[in-house]
Amino acid sequence: MQRSLFPPLPLSRRRFLSGVSGLGLTGLLGASAWDAVAADLVEFPFVNGRRELATNFPQKGAMILQRTRPPLLETPFEVFDQGVFTPNDRFYVRWHLANIPTEVDPATFRLNIRGHVDQPIQLTLDDLVRGFKPFEIAAVNQCSGNSRGFFSPRVPGGEWANGAMGNARWTGVRLKDVLDRAGVKAGALQARFNGLDTGVVPQTPDFMKSLAIDHARDGEVMIAYAMNGEPLPLLNGFPLRLVVPGWYATYWVKMLDDIEVLDKPDDNFWMTKAYLIPDTPFANIVPGQKDVKMVPINRMLPRSFFTNVKDGAVLKVGQTTTVRGIAFGGDTALAKVLFSADSGSRWQEARLGSDHGKYSFRRWEVPLRLSSPGSHQLMIKAVNAAGSVQPDRANWNGAGFMRNVIESVSVQAA
Amino acid sequence: MEMSPRGIVLVSAIPILLGIALAAGLTWPGTVDSAPAAKEAANGPVKKWTKVSVELPASQTAFPPGDGAVIANAQCLICHSAGMVLRQPPLTQDEWVGEINKMRNAYGAALPADQVDALAKYLHSINDGQSPRGSSTVDGQGG
Repeated sequence: MQRSLFPPLPLSRRRFLSGVSGLGLTGLLGASAWDAVAADLVEFPFVNGRRELATNFPQKGAMILQRTRPPLLETPFEVFDQGVFTPNDRFYVRWHLANIPTEVDPATFRLNIRGHVDQPIQLTLDDLVRGFKPFEIAAVNQCSGNSRGFFSPRVPGGEWANGAMGNARWTGVRLKDVLDRAGVKAGALQARFNGLDTGVVPQTPDFMKSLAIDHARDGEVMIAYAMNGEPLPLLNGFPLRLVVPGWYATYWVKMLDDIEVLDKPDDNFWMTKAYLIPDTPFANIVPGQKDVKMVPINRMLPRSFFTNVKDGAVLKVGQTTTVRGIAFGGDTALAKVLFSADSGSRWQEARLGSDHGKYSFRRWEVPLRLSSPGSHQLMIKAVNAAGSVQPDRANWNGAGFMRNVIESVSVQAA
Repeated sequence: MEMSPRGIVLVSAIPILLGIALAAGLTWPGTVDSAPAAKEAANGPVKKWTKVSVELPASQTAFPPGDGAVIANAQCLICHSAGMVLRQPPLTQDEWVGEINKMRNAYGAALPADQVDALAKYLHSINDGQSPRGSSTVDGQGG
């Protein structure tokens, strides 16, 4: 169902089509954040941004198709207006290697813990469910390259809009408890995580990620066997997925079946060559900048989004509208969300919805009354508990990682 | 949760219908902001494990005709479908050389060195003609 390159639609045509998007499912569900050009197409506001909606992936509803094999599926943004927990069947999907098992049998599945431990162990899924104290946390899972398509100048990679993220209630066991069962030896440096997926050719480096041993044992990093109260969809990592609250999703290894405790630094490709960021604030550099120290990507930054208004929306002059969205603090709690109706000159605090824990999405809303006709730029920015604020200017790096610039939409009052 | 492709369609239709009901009947901060229904039992949400078997869709997309399409279809499609290649922003021919060499050097693509330039020229030709863009930006990373 994929198609070759489409030329971008002329703007006038795009606006016209977005006006009739109510005919599609997205219209029934409320405001859509991006122009739905037809029931099964989405037009992201960047060059070569046309995408199809795919409905033929297992255990998934309508998803924005970025790549069929291995699957890259983006969550349509209107899903984020429906609640702070992203439904499993709409949760985004991102795989690196195409040999993904399509069948997983819990009767034979084993999780191995080995390496620099007192006693290597093998656990069944029932061992995990019955043999450990359950642990649960709400946490945002966000792709390192979420929003890459908005980078300017553009960079190659998965050309996502803002939907390579999701929030779920993860249930499972603390990684610490599992490591303690095997007994981490003195001198351990890192824990390395591997899943059942492999490359198509043997030369492709197996996808593995590592965490410092103290991070792995912090009591928050966990092995999830359920997501929003159900077993994980296969494409989100059934039966087990590492959950690293506050850190980018590259560490949240899917179909996790192997944990190796290392007594020397992990030198595997996915830690030393890929997923590196400039060691600068916001991972920001100037295009072409050389000799920058690079480090593995790590903690997430605060972000906030509008979910019920989009560019070009028309609001009635003098009438109060509730503008709302979602926000998260990144690697720590959200402190506040600030809203501006005048391009950032004045800011007011938005009202926040239920708090599901410091790593979760949280709702925000403000009543908005525009008294003068014309164009108004609305802006939203999150501030986290450590004082990190979304920046006025977008960051840039060659891999398209860690975008968290203040989001804005232009609306018309009439 | 054993699933045939036909079963999957039925299963996935249910949450979509529920979503419509929620959106139509409730306003925030009501039910839509609350946690998913708790399914806590003594042992958590998973009481019994069931084998999962799915079928992943195959891509029907071939690279568009042109000099080099034969190389692209023979080499690139070994490890990934064409879609993400076709959804890239405009890249220069040199940037395509960088992307292709990343596939060869980092990921082990068997593409012979003497086909790199021909493939880069082809990918540039099918990817060109979009709106103007900024300076060269490739840094050769995965992800």
